[in-house]
Amino acid sequence: MSVRQLFLVGLSHKSAPIEVRERVALNGDDLKAALLQLRASEGVKEAFVVSTCNRVEVFVQAEAEQAARAFFTSRADQAGEHLYVKSGADAVRHLFRVAASLDSMVVGEQQILGQVKEAYGLASGVEAAGGYMSRLCNRAFATAKRVRTETGIGRGATSMSQVAVDLVEKIFGDLKGRAILLLGAGKMGALSAKALKVLGADRVLVTNRSPERGQQLADQVGGTFRPWGELDQLLVEADVVIVSTGAPGFVLTADMVRAATKRRRHRNLCLIDLAVPRNVDPACAELEDVFGYDVDDMQKVVSANHQARQGEAVSAEAIVEAEVIAFTRERESRAALPVLVTLRQRAEAIARAEAERTLQKAGDVLDDRARASVEAMALAIVNKLLHLPTVRLKAAAATGESALAGAAAELFGLDQAAPAGRRTTPRNGVTPPAATPPEKDQP
Amino acid sequence: MSIDLLRFAAGLYAVAAAGYLLYFARPRHTLAARFGGWFLSGGVVVHLAAIGLACKEFGGLEWFTLRGGMVLTAVLLAGTYLLVQRFYHLPSVGAFVTPLTLIILLPTLFGVGGAPGEAPAALKHPAITLHIMTASLGVALFGLAFGVAVMYLLQEREVKGKRFGALFSRLPPLDSLDKLTDRLVRLGFLSFTVASILGAVIARSVWKSAWSWDPQQVTTLLIWLLYGGMVQARHRGWHGRRYALLTVFGFALLIGSIGTLRSVPGLTMHAGEYKGPRVEAAK
Repeated sequence: MSVRQLFLVGLSHKSAPIEVRERVALNGDDLKAALLQLRASEGVKEAFVVSTCNRVEVFVQAEAEQAARAFFTSRADQAGEHLYVKSGADAVRHLFRVAASLDSMVVGEQQILGQVKEAYGLASGVEAAGGYMSRLCNRAFATAKRVRTETGIGRGATSMSQVAVDLVEKIFGDLKGRAILLLGAGKMGALSAKALKVLGADRVLVTNRSPERGQQLADQVGGTFRPWGELDQLLVEADVVIVSTGAPGFVLTADMVRAATKRRRHRNLCLIDLAVPRNVDPACAELEDVFGYDVDDMQKVVSANHQARQGEAVSAEAIVEAEVIAFTRERESRAALPVLVTLRQRAEAIARAEAERTLQKAGDVLDDRARASVEAMALAIVNKLLHLPTVRLKAAAATGESALAGAAAELFGLDQAAPAGRRTTPRNGVTPPAATPPEKDQP
Repeated sequence: MSIDLLRFAAGLYAVAAAGYLLYFARPRHTLAARFGGWFLSGGVVVHLAAIGLACKEFGGLEWFTLRGGMVLTAVLLAGTYLLVQRFYHLPSVGAFVTPLTLIILLPTLFGVGGAPGEAPAALKHPAITLHIMTASLGVALFGLAFGVAVMYLLQEREVKGKRFGALFSRLPPLDSLDKLTDRLVRLGFLSFTVASILGAVIARSVWKSAWSWDPQQVTTLLIWLLYGGMVQARHRGWHGRRYALLTVFGFALLIGSIGTLRSVPGLTMHAGEYKGPRVEAAK
C-alpha cells in the first residue's frame, strides 16, 4: 500500500520529439488492450496510462518498473532513450503536477485534468486500476482543483485568438445580433474569426481582394463572401473587423474609419489588425468609439499572461508539494497499520486467554465484579505495554521509515502463525464486560 | 429612535460596501459579493423601518427637508440597485453604488434635521406624497445611472488605452454598462417627469400658479430638459463615451443644485419653508 510500490515510466513533449510520441500514443480500444496486457504482466498489481498528444505516461503499482518500460520499448525501439522513470513520492508528485497543469506545454491549460480523469476512468473500467490508483487519482484531482481555485494559474488568455475574444467580450459583452468582418485571407485572421464564434456572432462577413480565395475562406469559416468594393458599407455593418491581408501598407485608413463611425452613429467599432506590416492606420485607434489593436498589443497580453502564470506556478508547486507529502504520509502510515493491527490482536488474545484461565482456576471465589476487574486488568496491561510502540511505529511510518515496522514484526514473530493453543479472537470474539477504557477501570 | 435605526442601517450598508469592494478587489471571492447583497437587503429593510418610524415621530414633516430627501434617495438607490441586480447580475456595480448610498446617507446620521414646526398648507395636497416619492426615485435612478456611467468611463479608458490590468478584468463589458445607463436614465426621466407634473399641479393649487420662477423650478426644468435631450439623443444614435459623460454631468448638476439651493435659506420655496402659503395661513 505504500507509495514505494508506485512506478512511473513515461515520455512527454519535454523529453521526446513528436515522431516518438505519436508511435507510442494509444487511445480507445488499443489503450484498453494495452492496459489489460500491463495488468497481466508479472508483478503488476494495478496500472493506468495517461495518453495525450503531449505525453504518454504509464503508472504501475508493482515491485519494479520493468513492465511499464516494456510498454514503450515494445512499441518504438527508439523510445527507450527518451523515457523518464520515477518512483515513490517522485511519481506521485509527477502525477499531481501533470493533473494541475504544471507540466503542460501551456502552463495552466485546462484540458489536461479532463484527460487524466478520462485515463483513470478507462483504466478503472477495464479493472486495471483498483483501490490504490483510485486513491492516488482522486488525490491528484483534488490537488488540481485546489491549484485552480487557490492560484491564478488558469487566468488570462495565452493565445492571440483568445486575447481577441477577451477584448471583444470586454467591449460588446456578446456578439448576438452583431457581425464580424474578416478582411483578408491570413491564417491568424481565420483562426481568430473561428474563436470569436463562441461569443455568438450572428453573421461572419468575409472580403478579400481576390474573390476566389475570399469565397474559399468564407466557406471555411462559415461566413458569406462580399466583394472588396463594398468595404465602406461593410465597415458600417460589422462591429468587429479582423484584418489580416498580405498588403504592404494600410488597408484601413483613418479617413475611411472616420466616415464609417459617422454612418455607424458612433456605435463601438473594434479593429483587430493581425497583419505584419500593419494593415490598419494606428491613427484609427485614436478616433472616438473606435478600439484598435495590433499584433504587438495582443502579443504583450499573451506574454504578460504567460509571465503571470509562471508566477502563479510557484504557489501552485507549493500546494502540490504539500499534497504529495500528505498523501505519502497517509499511505505510509496505512502501510504500517497491518503490523500494528496484528500486534494488538495477538496481544489482546493472549490477555483474554490468560484472564480466562485465571478465572477458571479461581472458580466461585470471585463475584461478577471481581471477574470483570481481572479481565480489565489483563487488557490494561496490554494497552499500557503497547502504547509507546504504537506511537513510535506510527511516527516512523509517517516519515517513510519502514525498518521499525519490520523490526517489530521480527521481534514479536508476527510473520508466523499464532502459537498453537492460543485463540486469536478479534475484539468482538469474547467480549469482556469492561467496555469502558481499561485504564480508567483499573482495580 | 428612528435615527438609531437609521444608523444601524448605515452600518449594514457599510458592511455591504466592504463586501462588494472586497469582491471587486479579489473577484475570486464571489461569496463576498453575495454577503454584500444580503447586508444590502438587510440595510434596505432596516432603512425602510426607520423611515416608517420617523413618519410616526415627526408626522411626515421630515420629508420636506433636504435631509429627508437624502434619506429617501439613499433607500431608493439601494433598493433600485437590488432590483437591477436581479435582472442584470452585475455584482461589480455594487462596489460603486453601495458606497454612493453610504455617502448620501452619511450626513443625515448626525442629528434629526429641522422639521418645520407646523404643517405648511402645501402638505394638505393629496398628491404631495407621490410628488416626493417620484422625485426621490428620479434622483436615485439618476444616481445609479451616474455610478454605472463612471464605470463605463473607467472601462473605456482601460480598453482603449490597452491597459489590460485589474480594472479591465473586473469591470463588466462596455456594452452592458452602456445599455444599463440608458435604461436607468430613461426610467429616471420618466419618474422625474411624473414628479414635475405633480409638482406643477400642486403648485397651481397651493401657490396659485404652476410656474413662479422659483430657482428650484428653474433648475429642475433645466435638468429635465438635459435628461430629456439625452433620451432623444439616444434615439438618434448617441452611444458610449459621450452618453456616459452626459450622465455624469447631469447627476453632478442635479446634486449640486439640490445641495446649494436648499442650503441657502430663503432662496427657494422648496427649502422646508414653503413661505407663500404659510404667510397666507398666518394671516
